[in-house]
Amino acid sequence: MILSGKAISLAREANDIIIEPYNKSQINPNSYNYRLGENIKIYTGFSDGIPIFEDYVIPSEGFVLLPGQMYLGHTYEKLGSKKYAMSLIGRSSIGRLGLFMQLSANLGHTTSIHCWTLEMFAAKPIRIYPKMIIGQISFWTNCGEVSEFISEYIATSLPTESLLKR
Amino acid sequence: MILTGLEIKKQVEIKRIKISPFNSNNLSTNSYDLHLDSMLIRYTSEILDPRYPPSYEEFTIPETGFVMQKGDFFLGCSKEVIGSDYYVPLIHARSGIARLGLFVHVTADLIDIGSHGQTTFQLYATLPVILYPNVSIAQVSFWVPEGEIELYDGKYQRSKGPIISKVHQDWTDHNDR
Repeated sequence: MILSGKAISLAREANDIIIEPYNKSQINPNSYNYRLGENIKIYTGFSDGIPIFEDYVIPSEGFVLLPGQMYLGHTYEKLGSKKYAMSLIGRSSIGRLGLFMQLSANLGHTTSIHCWTLEMFAAKPIRIYPKMIIGQISFWTNCGEVSEFISEYIATSLPTESLLKR
Repeated sequence: MILTGLEIKKQVEIKRIKISPFNSNNLSTNSYDLHLDSMLIRYTSEILDPRYPPSYEEFTIPETGFVMQKGDFFLGCSKEVIGSDYYVPLIHARSGIARLGLFVHVTADLIDIGSHGQTTFQLYATLPVILYPNVSIAQVSFWVPEGEIELYDGKYQRSKGPIISKVHQDWTDHNDR
């Protein structure tokens, strides 16, 4: 089952959901609106079988994403839950501008609590701003016992490149 | 929990789900198939800036079809008016459409509970593909919510036709942080 906005806010008070910093105006009927963090990684090429990214800080006047390029961003908020599974998506107002916030990897595992890496891909040139409200996270009840998920990405708070072994 | 096709039909009959027009031939095991309306929107702004309203033009898909080129991005919408005050809708492409390289939404699959209208599709082509009016393009599934419900009453309520992004409208909220 998917949590209602009210249920998200109650679960946060009970510490079953972490959203930090939190602002109740960002609650939706079935999700919470997250903001864009200021760090971004820009894909610059391929070397030795590994994609190379350059680190960049999005200035307050914004930064234009170009179509066909791949960028890694991150959520401004620390988001997660030890009780619920999550789906991290864009928001409709941003999808309507053609900006993907992840590449078919929306599932957030129960027990992951961190600033999430966003796989950003623009269909049209689009200007993005630090801390803009850019996407949504929804929370889903689990069926069955929860095991601790061991992930190399758990401790990350900045955009993090793929750690898949070659 | 996700509703089965037969349960979607039952919920439509008792008016807890609205799908209009409704035809039970469009039900599948866990979803209902949505059709593409003939109106499309193309942005004409050189750079989209969420702080300002984008410029755009509308056009109609002819009966003979319209070719979307690789990399094209348009907004379309479902012919059907959909919504529910009891279940949460999620939008998906039909697998047959995705296999042609066409996205029907851009990571925005979640529809708020209480939102009613023609749903806007965010069409992005990774290969050249021909769009026809009324093609069966997407699916909507319905999910059971947990917790007290506050219904959607936002800026896209009762959408008719494809609706451009209105993100500029809440930019003052963005700055109030």
